[in-house]
Amino acid sequence: MFYLKLAWRNILRNKRRTIIASIAIGVGLASLILTDGLMIGMKNNLVESATSTLLGQAQIHNKDFRITRDIEKTIVAKDDITRKLESDPLVTAYSERIVSLGMITSPSTAESVIVYGIDPETEKELSKIDDRIIEGTYFGENKGREIIIGSKLAEVLEVTLGDRIVITVAQAFGGDLSQEMFRVSGIYYFDVKEMDNGFAFIRKDKAGTMLNIGNNIHEIAIKFSDIRIAEKKDLSFWGEYSTGNNEAVSWITIMPELKNILDMTDISLYMMGGILFFVVIFGIINSLFMSLYERMFEFGILKAVGTRPSGLRKLIIFEAGWLAIVSIVIGVIIGFVLHLLLIRNGIDYGGIEFAGTFMHDKIYPVMNISQYMKYPVFVFIFTIVVGLYPAWVAGKMKVTDALRKSM
Amino acid sequence: MKNLKILFFCLTLFISVSISIKANDDPKAREIVNKVDELYRSGSSYGLFEMEIITPHWSRKLKIKSWSLGKEKTFMRILEPKKERGMATLKLDREMWNYLPKTNKVMKIPPSMMMGSWMGSDFTNDDLVKEYTYLEDYNFEIIKLEGGDASHTYVKCIPKEGLPIIWGHIIIEVKEKENIPVSQKYFDEKGNLMREMYFKETKKFGNRVIPSVMELIPTKKKGKKTIIRYIDAKFGHKIDKNIFALRNLRKRI
Amino acid sequence: MIIFKIAFRSIFRQKRRSILTALSMFGGFFLSAFFIGFSDGSYNQIINMFTRNNLGHIQIHESTYLDKPSLYKTIRDYEDIYKKLQSIKEVDAFTPRIYSAGIVSVGEKSTGVKITGVDPKRENIATNFNKKIYEGDVFSDENSYEVIIGKGLAKILKASPGDDLVVISQGADGSIANDSFKIVGLSKSGNELEDRITMYIPIKVAQELLTLQGRIHEIAITIKKLNTVPEITELINEKIGSDKIIAEPWQAFAKSFYNAMQADVEGMWVMLVIIMFVVAVGVLNTVLMSVLERRREYGVLKAMGTKPGDIIKLILVEINILAVICIALGSIAALGINYYLSIHGITLAEPFSYGGMYFRHMTSEINLRSFVIPAVIVILSATVVGFFPALKAAKTDPAKAMRTH
Repeated sequence: MFYLKLAWRNILRNKRRTIIASIAIGVGLASLILTDGLMIGMKNNLVESATSTLLGQAQIHNKDFRITRDIEKTIVAKDDITRKLESDPLVTAYSERIVSLGMITSPSTAESVIVYGIDPETEKELSKIDDRIIEGTYFGENKGREIIIGSKLAEVLEVTLGDRIVITVAQAFGGDLSQEMFRVSGIYYFDVKEMDNGFAFIRKDKAGTMLNIGNNIHEIAIKFSDIRIAEKKDLSFWGEYSTGNNEAVSWITIMPELKNILDMTDISLYMMGGILFFVVIFGIINSLFMSLYERMFEFGILKAVGTRPSGLRKLIIFEAGWLAIVSIVIGVIIGFVLHLLLIRNGIDYGGIEFAGTFMHDKIYPVMNISQYMKYPVFVFIFTIVVGLYPAWVAGKMKVTDALRKSM
Repeated sequence: MKNLKILFFCLTLFISVSISIKANDDPKAREIVNKVDELYRSGSSYGLFEMEIITPHWSRKLKIKSWSLGKEKTFMRILEPKKERGMATLKLDREMWNYLPKTNKVMKIPPSMMMGSWMGSDFTNDDLVKEYTYLEDYNFEIIKLEGGDASHTYVKCIPKEGLPIIWGHIIIEVKEKENIPVSQKYFDEKGNLMREMYFKETKKFGNRVIPSVMELIPTKKKGKKTIIRYIDAKFGHKIDKNIFALRNLRKRI
Repeated sequence: MIIFKIAFRSIFRQKRRSILTALSMFGGFFLSAFFIGFSDGSYNQIINMFTRNNLGHIQIHESTYLDKPSLYKTIRDYEDIYKKLQSIKEVDAFTPRIYSAGIVSVGEKSTGVKITGVDPKRENIATNFNKKIYEGDVFSDENSYEVIIGKGLAKILKASPGDDLVVISQGADGSIANDSFKIVGLSKSGNELEDRITMYIPIKVAQELLTLQGRIHEIAITIKKLNTVPEITELINEKIGSDKIIAEPWQAFAKSFYNAMQADVEGMWVMLVIIMFVVAVGVLNTVLMSVLERRREYGVLKAMGTKPGDIIKLILVEINILAVICIALGSIAALGINYYLSIHGITLAEPFSYGGMYFRHMTSEINLRSFVIPAVIVILSATVVGFFPALKAAKTDPAKAMRTH
């Protein structure tokens, strides 16, 4: 097509103008892509931090356990469930837990505490306890009397590594008290009051014996292959594992506060995204108008030598199109490079404690193909749309008026 | 908390304990502890005592009557002060109930509450319920104490490994001849003194001579003390079985 | 002065170019001002609702209470403090509370609770207490032995309004506090864990029960304007004049919530930087084009004897006048929309809840920084951006410049 080629040559002819305009639009595009990535990254970061500390992205319990915490209400047909989880493609990791209220006693004092009986190996994938050990170790060779507590609890109990403490729990079926002596083998530190003060971790089989529930467990914590899976309300996963008297729930049910914060963040991010869109639109309008209006004289000449209005319009629109393409290329490159940089280094947030969890200190943008498709398309379409007005004006313009315009 | 168990044991909960002599300790020391142990043991018992609780914020005196039969049954009733008068606790085997006259409520103590305090005192509900296994849980040896009283015997009690005991060791001080305890001191594994108990004012109750005053002091906690003073006690007599029934809780006194 | 005149005339002479340049400055300013106003507005709205409906903006306690709560750390002359609070006109409302722990029993079931003593009238005025009650009723009067229990607690005890409940706790004199109450209502706070252990009784009854006559643990205060919290807190502390009893702002006692808000704010700053950058680039684009296109013109000026320094000044002044006009117009527009939204708000497609409250609208607010920050950015970027092309234009050889078009 003649006009297509002409438009392309026009663009190339005034390099400086083209480059300036396309960089402006390109930056706008890059920012759209990047912001999209950051928005996703921020939300994922939020959910990831909260769920990976201890609670997991989803949990399976006996239906009666979640609210009442009755230790007799263990998971029904646990082995069937774990077998299923093993082969479930959605699940990357799961961990079995026993959870009970108990007393922890030291020579100085007694405190109430939530006792978690865990399987150290599988628990590593689910929670961060192993990453936050500041003294001692995270369950080494099985010595049986290991217990890991938070730094604040250790402080209150006035104990350090190797000291004796006694855990007292009420047994299931009978309510007899069961007491066992442990030696502090590890101390962790989250800088979150609830975590550092309220929990004690022992081996699952020990807990099972103490509580008289044998091999049974109260909770299975689950990690999915993608962090967003848990938010899908109509996932078949929930129904599949809520059989017998069990129920499978996502972190949304377990930590509704987190969902609220996520929603709040969502809304503000959308607002910002909306504004960014307008800013970019302004940028496109600006750039395009600048490049076209400068050349009214030129277009006047074209008309004078016989170009038909429709031809002129086509030319201008094609120029807009080419400009858009060049801008898109520049924008995609800038966006991609920045994306890569940020994915390496992240944006530093500082550490913040809230809702009983600890936020990661870095946000990484999340890249996906759709970002590199929908935003460029948007920019392309909009540039063309914006170009319609000057195209129409140029087409209608009287030759004499155009020739008189000298900028 | 083991010390409280011992305190209670010494008070009025008379539990017959099966004694098994363990190796790796001094039989003479064990015998001394056994004799001290026997001082308070009986198939049945009755006691009237005063419990004074002192804390940095308040101090109170409770007057309590208690009965026990074997090691399974215990009944305690608060007589004074007026606000608590009529409150009672019944223990049958592993179960425990409290009665509160003001609300006329008999409340079974749920297992989760067992480590909670008994009637606001320094004792836990569990102290009342647990079997006393002192002799089984420790090894004993006689030691010489620097700066101690030459006429007293000091027995060091070391908990056997693997038992749910938080103490590093306990030192019992006994008046050699009469086998009457003078003090009991609890140390953590690092050797810090954490709790002290003193036995004073020996008196004769029926045909037994026992310290009538027991003072419990948590060493590290400033301003806290519990003192028990025996006013009366009977051992080995016949006790009405009906005392140890739920309906006895509600009885007007 | 002549520079100003020339600059002005240049601006109005080339309407189209000026308008385009102005457009990007106006657009950038307006959108940023709107964004800041809106995000500040919604942020403060959330804080306000949360603190107002729950904890209050400011709380008064015994000085070490927040760090390590204890039954014995009480405020004694609270009537006196009430008077002082009433004398501060920025204080909207205040309400006293007592806290303790205990065991409750309904029928055969018993469990541990956190006991909160509240003043029925004041608590409702200050924190909309009555709205929390989703079943049953409020206290019939301030001396009645009635309780309102949390949703989870009701489930554990299998209790409902009308049932009898026995409370056992320890008094401040060491005595065993116990009494029977009637359950009159069930409450919901939005926090499941809390609702499992929450229980409210009238504060006068709590004082009786716990032997805390003449004493309370906390006074929660709500004030009229959220952003005056720091000053009012200081004012209250001055009036109380004791280092044993202190007032603290919500940032101190609602740390978790505060951190959540902070996290949000930090995220927004990141985004704001991006927006501002894009705006700056937009300004750069138009200014650059504009200056570069007019090289011929500047060439003529130079040929006529204008000093290079003056040419730079000319260009910069022109840009800044434009910027100022845009900021002025942008301010009016931003003021308009922020004002409108501060009253009406944007209705959310799906209301979201936080801390048990539902947010259906997000409102904007009018504040100084929503104008100052964008204004500074627009002027700065325009000036910085205009400087280099201005420099180039000033340096051009007149003959060369006039030969180009």
